[in-house]
Amino acid sequence: MTLVHVPRPPQSALNPDRPVNTLLKAQIQHLHEAERNLPPRHRTDIYINAIKTEGEAAEYIRRVTTAIHKAHEEAAAKRGRGIVIAAAADDGEGSGRRRTTTAKRKHKAAQGSRRS
Amino acid sequence: MPPGLDNLRHIVVLMMENRSFDHMLGSLTAVNPQIDGITDQLGNPDTTGALIKPQPLAQFQGQLDPDPDHHFPAVDLQIFGGDTSPNRVANMQGFVKSYFNQQKDVGHSQKIMYYFAQNQLPVLTTLALEFAVFNRWFASIPGPTICNRAFAHYGTSFGRVDMNLLYINEPFKSIYDRLISANPKHTAKLYYYDTTSSTMEITNLLENQPELFGTYQQFLNDCSTGNLPDYSFIEPNFSDHDSDSGEEVASDQHPDHNIQAGELFIASVYNAIKQNPNLWQSTALLVVYDEHGGIYDHVVPPACTPDQFTASANDTGTGQSFAFDRLGVRVPAILISPWIPKGTVVDGRVFDHASIPATITKFFLGDYSPRSPRETSADVFIEPNVQPVDPARNLLSLAAMRTDCPDFDV
Repeated sequence: MTLVHVPRPPQSALNPDRPVNTLLKAQIQHLHEAERNLPPRHRTDIYINAIKTEGEAAEYIRRVTTAIHKAHEEAAAKRGRGIVIAAAADDGEGSGRRRTTTAKRKHKAAQGSRRS
Repeated sequence: MPPGLDNLRHIVVLMMENRSFDHMLGSLTAVNPQIDGITDQLGNPDTTGALIKPQPLAQFQGQLDPDPDHHFPAVDLQIFGGDTSPNRVANMQGFVKSYFNQQKDVGHSQKIMYYFAQNQLPVLTTLALEFAVFNRWFASIPGPTICNRAFAHYGTSFGRVDMNLLYINEPFKSIYDRLISANPKHTAKLYYYDTTSSTMEITNLLENQPELFGTYQQFLNDCSTGNLPDYSFIEPNFSDHDSDSGEEVASDQHPDHNIQAGELFIASVYNAIKQNPNLWQSTALLVVYDEHGGIYDHVVPPACTPDQFTASANDTGTGQSFAFDRLGVRVPAILISPWIPKGTVVDGRVFDHASIPATITKFFLGDYSPRSPRETSADVFIEPNVQPVDPARNLLSLAAMRTDCPDFDV
């Protein structure tokens, strides 16, 4: 059996300040469409035309994706069904989420592609 | 019944982003001449008229910036070389010209011809050489991501050739709906990387059926606990972002994201399946790219059965309507299973992303309608597990499971 070594990307691969690409712009646009159908309490106050970087895009995408899951969970709870939506609970979305400092980012960037 | 098909319980599709076959796997022709990749005869003219040959000079990051144009008009130029006459013939001669249009830099435009050397991509090239690589798997549309990904979910893009796929209540059900509403019921899941990366299928599935989604961590858990659904579709991480477990580097390989991060991700998916022996023997994994991302490939996309939709001249941006009667540019596609003979090259058959719902439907459900004309006519990459199976078409053909499959040190 062959064991193939897989090199990790360099720490310079990580760049949340990279300008948002056309794919992420489209994803934002689609989520914005979806957000307009959410109950007002679940909507963000983010002006999507001001999103310029991948990090900013990621934050908007996280908030709306989480809001969609939560809106469905609430609706399911009201119907008395116990729909389990595991995806919404994966990464601690919500008010307690912390931003990582630049120093922490640089430190963790040295540890590989998924830095934990 | 061939034992590989008899054992098959799970099909997993991992769809990466925006790289052409020649760019990623073209180097393998030197290893196995059956693989239709880079040869000395290939080239593209630049805007000075000089012939630019493919060279193994691709870099992991920083080379294809700006992101090469891969929207419908640009791909039309790449495929037809700028010929807009009624009887034009596709020649794959417009890639350098197309990339030149973005920066007006002759030297930079030539980089669209670069490809990766085999040793730069140890994961993808190992998988291609160890399992089944497809010589003719094309994007479904000569256009961008979201309409191409729609073919993997629905077997059609509902007439769209762009990113503005805001369809709802269209006639064709998603492959997930078909499976979960079947009798007997099947299971299906879309695993996005995490909620911060989310999905590229938003305005129908995420918005209306978020319960279909899981995270990549859930995929890993489902693999280790033996709870993988019948059908799984995995999306890579589309962005560099923070998470509670640290920093996440985009793993989709979309230019200008790092290629090695994508290699790690592909290896991680493979390992997750392989490390559960029961799952390994009962699962087939397809690794495929959504479209070519504007990057050079030499194979002319063939004509195909028209879809029942037509994109208007205004929507295509070329001045011509499009009947979905031609495939997009060729992309890497590899089918992985321990029941596949080492070094299999699938040649003489044409596949596109409509082959994904076509295969899943035929394998798990059998006859099913309605399906789009494109999906109905698409070839399948796994035969249904009913007799008789045509041995020439069955890729999971070994009488005994392989024990020599590679492992990746991730």
